[in-house]
Amino acid sequence: MKLLKKGAEADLYQTKWQDSKAILKIRKIKKYRNSSLDSKIRKQRTIKESQMLSHVKSFGVPTPLVYFVNLDKTSIIMQEIPGKPVHDLPPSQIIDLSKEIGRLVGTLHKNGVMHGDLTTSNFILFQKTVYVIDFGLSQISIKPEDHAVDLRLIKEILNSAHAKIMMSSWKNFLNGYKSIVGHAYFTQITKLVSDIESRGRYAQVV
Amino acid sequence: MLGLGIESTAHTFSCAIIKKNGKKGKILSDVRKIYRPDEGEGIHPREASRHHIENSSLVLSDCLKEANVSIKDLDIVSYAAGPGLGPCLRVGAVVARSLASFYKIPIYPVNHAIGHIELGKLLTGATNPLVLLVSGGHTMLLAFLNKQWRVFGETLDITLGQLLDQFGRSIGFASPCGKNIEELANSSSNYVTLPYSVKGNDVSFSGLLSATKSVATKSKVDACYSLQETAFAMISEAVERALSFTRKKELMIVGGVAANKRLSAMLKDVCKRHNCKFFVVPLQYAGDCGSQICWTGLLESQVKQGAELKDTFVTQSWRLDSVKVNY
Repeated sequence: MKLLKKGAEADLYQTKWQDSKAILKIRKIKKYRNSSLDSKIRKQRTIKESQMLSHVKSFGVPTPLVYFVNLDKTSIIMQEIPGKPVHDLPPSQIIDLSKEIGRLVGTLHKNGVMHGDLTTSNFILFQKTVYVIDFGLSQISIKPEDHAVDLRLIKEILNSAHAKIMMSSWKNFLNGYKSIVGHAYFTQITKLVSDIESRGRYAQVV
Repeated sequence: MLGLGIESTAHTFSCAIIKKNGKKGKILSDVRKIYRPDEGEGIHPREASRHHIENSSLVLSDCLKEANVSIKDLDIVSYAAGPGLGPCLRVGAVVARSLASFYKIPIYPVNHAIGHIELGKLLTGATNPLVLLVSGGHTMLLAFLNKQWRVFGETLDITLGQLLDQFGRSIGFASPCGKNIEELANSSSNYVTLPYSVKGNDVSFSGLLSATKSVATKSKVDACYSLQETAFAMISEAVERALSFTRKKELMIVGGVAANKRLSAMLKDVCKRHNCKFFVVPLQYAGDCGSQICWTGLLESQVKQGAELKDTFVTQSWRLDSVKVNY
């Protein structure tokens, strides 16, 4: 099997599932972690991810199909999305896609799902569709605070990795988000995002 | 070029002299006096600043003596202008301003956190690292991009240093408590489940702190062990996420908690997995020191004139990602 990517918490391999190309995602043992903590985390996230990949499809968020889950090996076999992570696209395209990303995140939140790891690497563009991946840290949650944590994270990523286009892509993201969750909820969440930021270390106290 | 750096953001009052030659810097002296609160207590800003005032002249003269330098030889003087405790910051600033105005030496206000990073780079030789800054004041993952240090992950509430100190104080240590906790942790291997809270590249420690305090009522050693295992695993995971996202090939840890051996060991393992070079700031310079301020001031003097005296304020909340780095 060909190793495609050594991710932060899992390794991705190219594999086959009934003659079609597939991805094998294995959460391998991390020796640095206390072993009982380690196996708990790996198991929990494997379950969470496989459930959520299917669950969010039910309200129209594009994700890879889950083919097979092996809990003992903490591995998932899923459909391969042969596109490119939004992170690697040219800046102008990232700005455009931010609106769609905002809509997708809005749809997740509206349906009570917090993603938990919203980075530009976790959105894949394939044939004009943006797929959402990596649901290991996701949670079923309707708490506005959790949704605000999601927004804060993507804002942090735009502000760091995509600093040059931060303003325009964040604006587009918010517009997309607002178009799904509605004005009232949007206002509540953006207020909470500022609250979280103000709790941060040495934040500008306005 | 010869610089004097003055650090007084929190516990430590320190003066250091560095001779800069091109990109190289040699630390000629680094003298420190550290304020120690009573057991079970934290830093009291007024008491700490009193300590700094009482010790400032002695530290300064020792520092000059050790480096065999007279004040008139100094090309610049820099001081930590923030972030930190107001009363403490002011002591360093007053010393720096007095020297600058009396001896007509250019003065440079320096960001303390940037100081940790720049000194780390000088001493470890890291060139383009992902930086983990872990101390009492900071828990941040940083990478340099477009002339600024950008935050790729940080704590959403208290810092790793605060977590260790606040827990340590609750079981009777005086802060900084990291070393005591590490020693106690080494005598246990019984892991008690504690809340593990990683949110993307960010971490949150406040729930962990409360939960560990309740474990400590049953067993202090188990609490210390489990606290370290949980908190450091969270940090390591955030580091892994940031490494894989930024694709950096170097990791550097700086700040007071960098002295913890268990944390280094875990991060070394992370680096091995990601084929990444691992740098940790030498123990002696992990905590707050004048050298970090001095070296950053010297770097700034390459591209900037000294500040006007009227602009030499201190700023208690001064985020390092708001500082433009042009050198």
